[in-house]
Amino acid sequence: MKHIVRTAGTLMASLVLATQAMAQDKPEQIDVGVFTFTSGAPAAYGQPGAQGAELMVDLINAAGGIDGVPLRATIVDEAQGAEGVIAEYRRLAGETSYQVMIAALSSSNCLALAPVAEQMQMPTIGWNCDTHQLFLDQQLDYTFRPNGNTIPEFVAYVAYLLQVNPDIERVAIINPDYAFGHDAAEIVKAAFRAFKPDVEIVAELFPSLGASSYQTEVSRLSAARPDAIFSNLWGADLENFVRQAQPRGLLTQSQTVLALGETILQRIDLPDGVIVGMLGDGYWLTPHAQANEDTVAFAEEYSNRFGEYPVFPTMKMANSFMVMKAAYEAAIEANDGEWPSRDEIAAALEGLETATFTGTARLREDNDGYVDQVIGVTGPSETYDFSVITNMVRYDGEALMAPLGEDPIAWIETLTPEFLETLPEPGSYN
Amino acid sequence: MLDMALPLIMDALANAALIFFVAVGLTLVFSVQRILNVAHGSFYSIGAYIAASMGLWLISAGLNPWLSFPALLLSAALVAMVLGPLVERTLIRWTYGRHEAIQILVTFGLFLILEDLQRLVFGVRSIYQDTPMALLGVTEIGGIFYLNYQLLLIVLALAVLFGMRFLIKHTRLGRLLVAVVADREVSLAMGINTDRAFVLAFTLGVFLAALGGALATPTTGVAPGLGAETMVLAFAVAAIGGLGQIEGAAVASIIVAGAKVLAVYYAPAFDTVAPFLVMLAVLLVRPNGLFGTATTRKI
Repeated sequence: MKHIVRTAGTLMASLVLATQAMAQDKPEQIDVGVFTFTSGAPAAYGQPGAQGAELMVDLINAAGGIDGVPLRATIVDEAQGAEGVIAEYRRLAGETSYQVMIAALSSSNCLALAPVAEQMQMPTIGWNCDTHQLFLDQQLDYTFRPNGNTIPEFVAYVAYLLQVNPDIERVAIINPDYAFGHDAAEIVKAAFRAFKPDVEIVAELFPSLGASSYQTEVSRLSAARPDAIFSNLWGADLENFVRQAQPRGLLTQSQTVLALGETILQRIDLPDGVIVGMLGDGYWLTPHAQANEDTVAFAEEYSNRFGEYPVFPTMKMANSFMVMKAAYEAAIEANDGEWPSRDEIAAALEGLETATFTGTARLREDNDGYVDQVIGVTGPSETYDFSVITNMVRYDGEALMAPLGEDPIAWIETLTPEFLETLPEPGSYN
Repeated sequence: MLDMALPLIMDALANAALIFFVAVGLTLVFSVQRILNVAHGSFYSIGAYIAASMGLWLISAGLNPWLSFPALLLSAALVAMVLGPLVERTLIRWTYGRHEAIQILVTFGLFLILEDLQRLVFGVRSIYQDTPMALLGVTEIGGIFYLNYQLLLIVLALAVLFGMRFLIKHTRLGRLLVAVVADREVSLAMGINTDRAFVLAFTLGVFLAALGGALATPTTGVAPGLGAETMVLAFAVAAIGGLGQIEGAAVASIIVAGAKVLAVYYAPAFDTVAPFLVMLAVLLVRPNGLFGTATTRKI
């Protein structure tokens, strides 16, 4: 009898200790590594992302954190280059308090970090990088991108341009001289070949990332007399280009498409009618965003704190935090309320679908995301003292995404002009 | 091809003008002090930051926007008066007579320090101050709108070129500098204050670099890295024209700018490397540059 009591007592004590041990596994704080550009020319784009991260951490913590645990973000500057970014990633991933990374802004850094994430088994949410090459020909188990990729983004711009200007024949391209710019040019050219094969590319320029002067490029584009100019310049490069092109009449001489133009609307007085948009659906003034009181409150709080309204990098970052929070919560639930491991968080991210500030994030089997694409043209606002996006359309992200396993560029080539008729009309989303 | 000729020439001249301001300062300092000043690009970017800040202040204070033109000149003068004597008397003077590698390392260190200081003071975001550009409007040339400000830059570059020629050939200071360049020891023996000549030459070099930066602000954003970008082109100009050659710097600026512009028009993939391919070709044929001459050296 004594033996049974002693054994039972030992078991009880072990259970209590084990329970305590499990409870201790729940951290006092969740650390998140957030990779973005906070210096150099790309900081004009990356800093609003960092500010979005700062605000989201405060908002989540004010609402009780994640399962009662507060968040803390460590911002890593991507301007130090891929080697430095990888070293910082490894350093943070080596600490057990980091269970998720939100990385990165740059596509080249995402490509560089993906194998490291796999090696260190660190769930990583790509918050901005959108090269379609990330998930091409490789299965990544720890890298997730709920923010869309270059294929739907740039096919959408060609579709919109042809919907509003079906007669264009001469197109010029000016993109940054690295993977993002060259990939976009390939996609745009493939989309024109599919939708309007007689379109001629009359100039294709790739100025260096961070270039300060675009005067020669402006002359070259003017001299080419294009019907339309496409650009995916971004950050300070975009602002520099527009500030130099606008006084010389380039933006009104041709139908200009600024794929990342939403980021400069509050800073530069663009002429009406410029096709602008964002990568994805992250515009704080879409009908979806304005119908969501949390989004409206976020935008107001952001404006109060940082002196300007959020731009789409801010919203992409905020949406990434929402995806991370949803993954933590799903993992905790799947783990019967216990704190999850990195593997369990990664498992929760697989196929995740969650509401965001601006729509819905949905991850497919290869961990790439379906995100709708919002595009419009610049127009005056009755409420704000800067141009807003009008005549908007919201394309279904899945409809513009290459099917799983297919080569994206080859898939675009299979599209036909009739495909445009299946898409919603510009102005249908206002 | 012919219909592109006018825009090509216009763009080459406008680009050359901005490069020339920096290159001529670099070559002046080299010819007088025999120092290849790697930090010269920092004076360009500091000039740009000061000019942009002063212009923004003028506008925010509600002053006449036309004052932003003299503000560009004033900014460059301010940078030169403060940094020229300070840097020459503390760092540069210490390197006279030492090995070229030491001189380059010292000025490179100074460049890194100044770049970080600019980040600390002005931040990492781009600054824009385009009032002078907006005030002058545009002119249509060959069906393309050019900023009148770009045309003004060409005129100013010519003014600097002829001003420098006048200074060297027809003023007492110029003759003193020529004497120091010819032989420092003999100049000293003849009672010329070579230390003062060095300070003046260096300060003038800083002024020209800062002027280039200040004049660039109305058409470009000012951000970290601006100095390095310009400096690399200025070195190409100095190498092509021949170090120490003012007229050479003018011609080489047009060559470098022309190569870059041609590449943007006809081979965009080579626009960054084109000036350096030209530099390589020139140095293979004339190692001392187009206008440089081989000099004997005491051992």
